[in-house]
Amino acid sequence: MAISKDVYKEFEDVVGAENISDDPVIKAAYRSPDLTVVLPGNTEEVAAVIKLCNKHKIPYKAQSTGWSFMPPTYDFIFLDLRRMNRIIEINEKNMYAVVEPYVISAELQGELFKRGMICNVKGAGSTCTALAMSGHGHMGLTTSTGDRNDLATEWVTDEGEIIRLGTLGASDEWFCGDGPGPSLRGILRGGGVITKQATKVYHWPGPSEYPLEGVSPRYTLGKKPSDLNMMVRYFSFPSIEKLVEAELKIGESEIAFELMGFCPSMVSSNITTSNEEDFATLDKFTKEVQGPGFMVIIAGNFDEDFAYKKKALAQIIKETDGKSLKTVEDPAVESTLLFQCTRVCASIRETFRAGGMFSSMMVQGQRYDNHVKWLEEGAVLKRELIKKGLVIADDGQQFGWGEEQGHLGHTEIFCRFNPYDEKSSKAVQEWLGKLGKRALDGCFAVPAMGVLPVDEIGKRVSNYHVWFGKLKKAFDPNEVGENTGYSYVGADISGVHTSIYKKEPEKASPKQ
Amino acid sequence: MAIEDYRGDVEMCCRCSACKHIPLQKIKGVEHSEACPSIAKYNFHAYSGSGRLLIAKEMLTNGFKYTDKLLDIVYNCQMCGACDISCKYAMDMEVLEPIYEFRIKAVEEGHTNPALDKAITSLRKQGTMVPGAKAKRGEWAKGLGIKDFLRQKTKVAYHVGCLTSFDKDMWPVARATAKLLNKAGVDFGIGGEVESCCGGRAYQMGYQNDFIRQAQNNMALFKQCSIETLVTSCANGYHAFKVLYDKFGLKGNLEVLHITEYLARLIKEGKLKLNKKVNMTVTYHDPCYLGRLGEPWIHWEGKRIPGYKFVFDPPKEYRRGTHGVYEPPREVLTSIPGLKLSEMDRIKEYAWCCGAGGGVNESNPEFAMWTAKERIEEAESTGAEAIATACPWCEKNFNEAIKESGSGLKVYDIVELVEKAI
Ligand SMILES: Cc1cc2nc3c(=O)[nH]c(=O)nc-3n(C[C@H](O)[C@H](O)[C@H](O)COP(=O)(O)OP(=O)(O)OC[C@H]3O[C@@H](n4cnc5c(N)ncnc54)[C@H](O)[C@@H]3O)c2cc1C
Ligand code: SF4
Ligand code: SF4
Repeated sequence: MAISKDVYKEFEDVVGAENISDDPVIKAAYRSPDLTVVLPGNTEEVAAVIKLCNKHKIPYKAQSTGWSFMPPTYDFIFLDLRRMNRIIEINEKNMYAVVEPYVISAELQGELFKRGMICNVKGAGSTCTALAMSGHGHMGLTTSTGDRNDLATEWVTDEGEIIRLGTLGASDEWFCGDGPGPSLRGILRGGGVITKQATKVYHWPGPSEYPLEGVSPRYTLGKKPSDLNMMVRYFSFPSIEKLVEAELKIGESEIAFELMGFCPSMVSSNITTSNEEDFATLDKFTKEVQGPGFMVIIAGNFDEDFAYKKKALAQIIKETDGKSLKTVEDPAVESTLLFQCTRVCASIRETFRAGGMFSSMMVQGQRYDNHVKWLEEGAVLKRELIKKGLVIADDGQQFGWGEEQGHLGHTEIFCRFNPYDEKSSKAVQEWLGKLGKRALDGCFAVPAMGVLPVDEIGKRVSNYHVWFGKLKKAFDPNEVGENTGYSYVGADISGVHTSIYKKEPEKASPKQ
Repeated sequence: MAIEDYRGDVEMCCRCSACKHIPLQKIKGVEHSEACPSIAKYNFHAYSGSGRLLIAKEMLTNGFKYTDKLLDIVYNCQMCGACDISCKYAMDMEVLEPIYEFRIKAVEEGHTNPALDKAITSLRKQGTMVPGAKAKRGEWAKGLGIKDFLRQKTKVAYHVGCLTSFDKDMWPVARATAKLLNKAGVDFGIGGEVESCCGGRAYQMGYQNDFIRQAQNNMALFKQCSIETLVTSCANGYHAFKVLYDKFGLKGNLEVLHITEYLARLIKEGKLKLNKKVNMTVTYHDPCYLGRLGEPWIHWEGKRIPGYKFVFDPPKEYRRGTHGVYEPPREVLTSIPGLKLSEMDRIKEYAWCCGAGGGVNESNPEFAMWTAKERIEEAESTGAEAIATACPWCEKNFNEAIKESGSGLKVYDIVELVEKAI
């Protein structure tokens, strides 16, 4: 359904001729043949665009940075929010920052570092939006998670109404998501467009800027991490039980800034600058580790604090039979991990570099008990794929991290593969399906969307999808909000990821 | 190589948008975080490094359909390589090479830009694409008694370059260079009337065959005159002679030095003494073609190892901008007594382009100016009173941007600052 010239003109009148296009080549870059891209510059333009969508009953979808790979699926107006890239406010006293959708986490982090603060960065890395929304990141131990960091929010509904949520609904303040003022935090998942949002920020004990030296891709920290009262270590454990015990103790003692349950392959990806170097390093690590492990970052506020935290960590590691990976004790490696994990926030090297794609199964919100067990089963299944040469031969392990000192958590396992190899793609899809089914059958977890049909999951979980459907209807009577991703930002995207790599579907050739 | 040879690379693009930004750990805030002038100006994803690869992927699959919009995207790119460097921080894949090949293919299939065609016609006719080339090539050197390497034997050639030769405003740079080389006792010569365009800018514009013709002619001349070392003060020329000639197997043993590398060497060897104070706070702009793109070409031929990894046999070593020319210009500047160097947010391998590259200067002067003004604003934010650079194209663009924006910033070629110090 290409929109008519007259309708196009109506959208053009809102955003200006230079900010709208339905040219096939523009669409190719958005990986969809059937859309009209608009680049709104502010909330009012977003609202006006959505109102027009309602008027003409045209579906729409928005993107912040587009890193999620949630590809447009059918004809629509595609709102690329790239021009909305302002940091509206950084409130040091009340510890929050208000951003528009195209402020990326690296930008907000840069500003926050200068003020002794830091924000949660989603696991996708710091090229993705700094909006809180949903999304869990490696620094969750001390910076919590997206869905618990979102405060007051400016939201344009599927009908094009601008709603100010939380304190913003009653005043000009952004400090609370739940009021005084309307709170829709619980259902703010998938509908409408978030145009501004306040996100919680946290204390940062590290430097205001890393003293980086060297040239890409081999930056180094001009100093030893210990000179900054910081330390990075990787510990492996004889068993999952011991690993979990150590994680919980670290959380209880509140000594770590970050606890990222990297598996060795994720450490080796992050500290190396090419695939060849990565695989060689992984070989070395595999021989060094005794079992599952995690990376931990200690950051002292002052010398005594640093000394205390290191001592407490050493005690916990001793009690849990942990073993430190010697390579990571090298200050050069340590410092790479430090800025990789607090500024770049990992991700690209560890997911896409090796094969061009990754697909994962994850549980957001929890880490211990059931979830690790469930994904350990996933690891066993994954190793079969490795044996068959269908996915990257890494260590096959699950990974994850504690959030809010371990009260919450995130557990995940991924396969990296070549998405253009049909056998690999198919095998990974099947692996995800098996794991998803196992999650439900074994009452381990609710598998992320994209793995099993929503209604199959929904009927096992209080028919949540029916409730979501009702909410959707109430907020979107004209059904213009694109709902193939109808869950929430940051939801697992694995199923969608692989679908765009299938051999070009017939309808993919641009309409001329 | 052709665009088809980069199918694997374009398919690797994971849409992470790192190519739009400077390396993430270098970002200090919303200001000066962007790396790519094209996406920064035009906003649609198609204009970014990634967008260009996704378009290439689509066209490699469904055929190349040249629309006005496609050509607008293809030619509104400075070929500055910032996307390539940011991408390769994390990924093993080529970004700039397929962008080049896409443009070369467009030119070969007749989908050219009229302004670039005009420049190339001028190159074919008179050996330079600088408009209004009325003066003779060597006229800047009148009265300086510089050797003519065609007639007088010398091992070192100073290649002045088209813009410096034909734009009278640039003559002081050429004269200062000659003065410094003389002062250091270097036995050098110039081509004068026989000097010809390096061809580098033709390559940037996508006219590969014109570039190769220029390269072959130039190398024949250097061979005939037994030139061993070529010194140039133009970053585009440096890149052409050092990197592109090598890429096409034409460079032979010619040693190619940018004047800043040569000056740094002469200062270190004590052959050039800088003893006059130049009390000035200066910021330095790394020209793309001297900095990140100035790193040597890496010859590699191999095949992807079939399977799930993106690896090659033999292993592929990527040009990631690590070995560009970053330190020599800084060494020269900091050896000037009294001069204080105040760095911008975007430097070295992640420097923001001056706007003049990739034919944008000719095809879309407004975009070239917009890009330069962004840089001038960044330079001003350092508190410097002047911006120094090491390429006449950057200098020209900055001067025009300053004129348009009313900035009080001064622009110098490094050579001019060195001249002040002796
Ligand atoms: C390599 C990789 C690793 C990842 N790891 C993790 C992880 O560890 N933990 C985790 O939680 N997530 C992870 N993700 C998912 C990640 O959280 C999302 O990709 C990220 O939040 C997307 O941000 P974005 O700005 O790119 O969103 P986009 O890609 O722009 O959008 C994502 C979805 O949100 C919608 N959307 C975007 N902006 C808005 C808005 N302003 N208002 C309303 N809807 C909007 C879009 O329509 C789309 O459906 C990972 C993703 C990748 C690619
Ligand atoms: S070109 Fe590179 S940096 Fe840009 S989106 Fe693609 S993979 Fe990421
Ligand atoms: S070469 Fe420069 S202008 Fe062109 S896409 Fe890359 S960063 Fe942008």
